[in-house]
Amino acid sequence: MGLTAAYFRVFLTFARNSLVRDMTFRGNFIIDSITSMAWMLLNLIFYLLIFHYTDFIGANTAENPGWGRYEFFAFFATSLVINALLQAFFMTNVDELTDLIRTGGLDFILLKPIDTQFLISLRRVEWSSLSNLALGLVLLGYSFVHLAYIPEVVQVVLYVLYVICGVAIYYSLMIALASSTVWMGRNQTLYDFWFYITTFSRYPMEIYTGPWGQPLRSFFTFIIPVLVVVNVPARMLVRLLEKQNWPLAGFTILAAAASVAASRWVFQLALANYRSASS
Amino acid sequence: MLYFTILRISIAERLAYRVDFALGTLMRFLPIVTQIFLWDAIFRGMTSGPGPIAGYNYHDLIAYYLLTMVSRAFSSMPGLASSIARDIRDGTIKKYLLQPVDMLSFVLMSRLAHKLVYYGVATGPFALVFWICRGYFSGWPDAWTMLAFIASLLMSFLLGFFLEATLGMIGFWFLEVSSLLFVYMLVSFFFSGQMFPLDMMPSYWPTVLKLIPLQYMAYFPAAVFLQKVTGPQLAWGLAAEAFWVVFFYLSARTMFHYGVRRYSAYGG
Amino acid sequence: MPIVEIAKLSKSYRVFQKKEGLGASIRGLFHRDFKTIEAVRGIDLTVESGEFVAFLGPNGAGKTTTLKLLTGVLTPTSGAASVMGYVPWKRENAYRRRFALVMGQKNQLWWDLPAAESFRLHQHIYRIEPQQFQKTRDGLAEVLDVQHLLGRPVRELSLGERMKMELIAALLHRPEVLFLDEPTIGLDVVAQHNIQTFLKQYQQERKVTILLTSHYMKDVMALCRRVVIIAQGRIIYDGSLEGILDQFGGQKVISLLVADGKMPDDLSRYGELLLIEPPRAKLRIERSKVTEVLSAILSRYAIEDISVEDPPLEEIIAKVFKDNKEEGE
Repeated sequence: MGLTAAYFRVFLTFARNSLVRDMTFRGNFIIDSITSMAWMLLNLIFYLLIFHYTDFIGANTAENPGWGRYEFFAFFATSLVINALLQAFFMTNVDELTDLIRTGGLDFILLKPIDTQFLISLRRVEWSSLSNLALGLVLLGYSFVHLAYIPEVVQVVLYVLYVICGVAIYYSLMIALASSTVWMGRNQTLYDFWFYITTFSRYPMEIYTGPWGQPLRSFFTFIIPVLVVVNVPARMLVRLLEKQNWPLAGFTILAAAASVAASRWVFQLALANYRSASS
Repeated sequence: MLYFTILRISIAERLAYRVDFALGTLMRFLPIVTQIFLWDAIFRGMTSGPGPIAGYNYHDLIAYYLLTMVSRAFSSMPGLASSIARDIRDGTIKKYLLQPVDMLSFVLMSRLAHKLVYYGVATGPFALVFWICRGYFSGWPDAWTMLAFIASLLMSFLLGFFLEATLGMIGFWFLEVSSLLFVYMLVSFFFSGQMFPLDMMPSYWPTVLKLIPLQYMAYFPAAVFLQKVTGPQLAWGLAAEAFWVVFFYLSARTMFHYGVRRYSAYGG
Repeated sequence: MPIVEIAKLSKSYRVFQKKEGLGASIRGLFHRDFKTIEAVRGIDLTVESGEFVAFLGPNGAGKTTTLKLLTGVLTPTSGAASVMGYVPWKRENAYRRRFALVMGQKNQLWWDLPAAESFRLHQHIYRIEPQQFQKTRDGLAEVLDVQHLLGRPVRELSLGERMKMELIAALLHRPEVLFLDEPTIGLDVVAQHNIQTFLKQYQQERKVTILLTSHYMKDVMALCRRVVIIAQGRIIYDGSLEGILDQFGGQKVISLLVADGKMPDDLSRYGELLLIEPPRAKLRIERSKVTEVLSAILSRYAIEDISVEDPPLEEIIAKVFKDNKEEGE
């Protein structure tokens, strides 16, 4: 059996086991689905409120169009989709990595004849987070209905591609931070750091203007590329394929690849320095 | 005297984490940076030119968010409800029942210690941030307003404590309270005014929301400082806040009393 | 050609003062107080295929660290080792497919799911052929008498049953080398016995090489001929079990419970007085003198209870270490 097929089969088993487990605790599953949707709805209400008072986020000029209500909803839907994917496939696992490092549970994982990063990152699938994915897609559809605009096939394909890039960038950041536990021990502040970094990227990058905004925007686009995560796919879908976006789009793919490579390097380094737990 | 000792020991414990405090505190202001840009973009996006939103102009809004950081510093009780529920669930609560210490007072002192140290160290970073952002404020309010502001803050500490304590006590009757607490967290984030000033809600909503005690956790003190709540409304608001403090104090006490009885009846 | 070869393997840790918080952590990147703990200090060892070797030693001796080095969980500070020709800490998949490690009281099976589901995952991770997988699994389950428990969530099983499931999981891919770290720790006597019987049988049938660590004498006595004693990171004895008992089992410990609270004050003339806390006392004497001393004590004093035991393993080992040290000086 080919290697890829073998890995895929292992992943299917992970997905299946997670589903079985979630169904065993059905009550919790339902509650988790509802609570994650609740958070999304509260944010949606907030944005509805904002558009009650304004027409655009960002000054609406010819060269830099602002984000109107439904465009912004599409943007928000994109961030939902990306976060849902991240939460469904990676978040619990990377979270657990810090515990595994601390308690020595990583030992068992190191014994398996399978890529360690694969095993760690995909062990658990949080099916309840897919409710948010569904909601995000619904919101996306709803926005396009109101925009009276149907994106071309190319745009949709690129959208999917860039959503994957976005997830990859977020994932890389998460796993690099988690791996640092090997050197720095359990660190709540690191988690907060992750949270704060991602709050920067929840809005269209156009809001970062001015003498303070520009450097911030550049930093979070090119150094820690979190701004491209939601922005690029959203723009791809909502704005037509404008030529000015192409360099950024190209950069995003590079950034995604580089992030994954860099984070894998950090991860391997962490494994080499892993000290297990005393017994 | 006992409680003062507990306070002193807790403070010593907390002081060991000074640097982490300072850095962590500064980091807490990072979301404000995004708010600063976001609201600017919102105002600029108004086709008919920037105008106040529910009585708040741009500077007011940023000042509001900064002030809610202050109110939250007083009223937030991270993990209080869940740790009480957990202690009940795994039996650790028996420790309090056996010792000649009243649990609620003990935990209150512990939280007070945490807050005092937090302010001791966080005053620096807070002051720094506020000074940097002084352009968003239109000066200091008058003495009466300051007094009302401080009163509302102190009460919000007590209110936050007893409200979360009450929630934690539910653990005496229901084993799994984590979902309930999560819902509370979500709801309070929205309705306390942390996300946006409650006045922004359309039509009758602001009036309704100001009836529930959640507004005192973030919105009310900030609104008082910014003089969005004045005169009879202010007096009424403060009185209502005091009422809620007493209400939740009593509810926490009562639930503790009956909860312990029930607990012992089941052999713990 | 030995299946395991270890040459001057060493592992030392720097233990830093770890403080919580980002500030302390950042400061810690520049300067830290540390002390060095040498867990394993230059051990040499060869094991032939099919052997059943026990590593004995007190807690903290370095037994588990050695196993972790041999399984690639840890990277050594210096020295070399090869198992089946592989360098363990390279963590090559080809190597990982051919050995198994079981750690007592540590669970690798999914907690909320039936063991059968974890086994199925194993099958896919190790890419075991389905028919072979079923045969192996059913065979093992039958021998260990847990077929009826395969569908039960692991958290509902008793400690002994869980351990059996862990063993099955470890053996599903038919490893050639089996590493066991304190496999019977925390189990009741019956469960211990079951595991021991199973291991002995399995080893005889399948001729796998087994390296086992324990601080239970019973494990060792039941299972292996060859014993390696590790203390303070060094091998201080490598030989047969009989050798140890011959050398050091030459002493016995007599425990007394005197009646009427009348503790005799001249017990020390019978042997080394280990403990005297009325109404209890403990004496260490030469094995050959047991009968003599027993009859003397019983005839002279009013004794409510008396028992004769081997000295505790820790003592034997400590003595072995001490003796070795003295020889070396």
